[in-house]
Amino acid sequence: MIRYSFITILLLLAAFVVQQFLPAFTGLHDSRILLVQLVFLCCAVTVGQPTMLLLAFIGGFFWDAQCALGPHGGDPEVYTQQVENLRFGYSILLFGGMGVLMQGIQPLFKQGKWHFSALLSGIAVLLYLAAEYTIINFIRGEFALNQATMRQMSWTAFLTMLFSPLVFWMLFRIAKLCDHSINPEAGRKRRRPR
Amino acid sequence: MKPLNLIALLLFLGGAVWALTRSERTVREIQNAYYEAISPFLKSGSQLENKARLFTKETRNSKQLEADLEATRDQLGRLKLIESRFRELEYENVQLRHALDFKKATRFDVVAARVIRRNPTTWWQTVEIDAGSDRGIGTQLAVLSNEGLVGKIDRVDNSGDRASVLLLTDEKCQVSARVEGSPEVGILSGQRGGFDGDPMLRLRFLSANAAVRPGQRVLTTGRGGIFQPNILLGTIHSVEKGALDSEALVRPSVNFADLGAVFVVLSADS
Repeated sequence: MIRYSFITILLLLAAFVVQQFLPAFTGLHDSRILLVQLVFLCCAVTVGQPTMLLLAFIGGFFWDAQCALGPHGGDPEVYTQQVENLRFGYSILLFGGMGVLMQGIQPLFKQGKWHFSALLSGIAVLLYLAAEYTIINFIRGEFALNQATMRQMSWTAFLTMLFSPLVFWMLFRIAKLCDHSINPEAGRKRRRPR
Repeated sequence: MKPLNLIALLLFLGGAVWALTRSERTVREIQNAYYEAISPFLKSGSQLENKARLFTKETRNSKQLEADLEATRDQLGRLKLIESRFRELEYENVQLRHALDFKKATRFDVVAARVIRRNPTTWWQTVEIDAGSDRGIGTQLAVLSNEGLVGKIDRVDNSGDRASVLLLTDEKCQVSARVEGSPEVGILSGQRGGFDGDPMLRLRFLSANAAVRPGQRVLTTGRGGIFQPNILLGTIHSVEKGALDSEALVRPSVNFADLGAVFVVLSADS
């Protein structure tokens, strides 16, 4: 269990490195595969709440470290309405929220129905992007939502979701290597004599 | 709720509050430490990417050659390959000459750099260049291409050989701008998630009866302490007039989808 939790943390950190090399799909409204979020979501459904929260903290913390922008600079008399930065650390809460959502269907996952978790990972990514976009608009003080943005968010969620079976397959392999069962009820069902 | 879960939740919330209350300086230090930690992976990843690109290029060339060999004799095919290589070198030569001319033509002391990576974020528009503090680059310096203003330096890596550029298409990159041939001045910026396909910029705070028309060029004013004057930003696409002020949509002069060589302005001559 501890070995498995430790490896999920390493997997999340590895996702940060791989994410750097995943390009945006310009033909699909600049959508992209959010590997970090996907790995977190898939791990979140396979671990207990304390580990999920630790993963959410690490994921959100490093995601913000990666994306944070510097101060505006320049003469404040010319740039009177400077755009505020999003507070460093907001992603920790968003990751935590997504993790709680994923843990909501943990009973189904434990029964071996990982497909629901795969589907929910797409929905969670969509909600994550929508929440992030809402915060950006809130800070800007002007709400603007157009079809292009909605398509970008939807495609990103869809493309990310397509890769969830691969991440689940990796997690099953890792669990097997660690002698740990991430869906014990499904295992019991398989072992039950007919 | 189990006691362990409760403790974990409290620790998580405490950690989140700690992160949310960090100062701008601490955030920059965390960010620098983060990029320092992953820079070995980024460097080796970039090298692998270049090798892969070279490999696919070679594969493409050999496929072309194969097709040629089917149609012509061996000797002709080889000559064609040599010719194509010469064309490539000629093209590269033209590009370099173009870049050199640009460097001579500008009135600034500039450092040429190459865009090596786009940062993997959905809403923030930044790219990484292969030049940093080793070559005198610091934050808040203007970045140009031979088409116009690209953005400004947002972060310089501790390694000294990389820097991050905040693109003009991001709404955090505000530029004091003027419309050529009119007294109108305003603040130009992009908008996160605002436009599909071709990115557009918003030129705000123009006067209510702004006499601007589509096609007019938009240039930097030089006010504000970051960008030098008279750098091309784009052309007016459309104008929306309001009760108190007007706003114009500006088509950027730079093709942000195809950024290659850029130039960081270290200081102005004048």
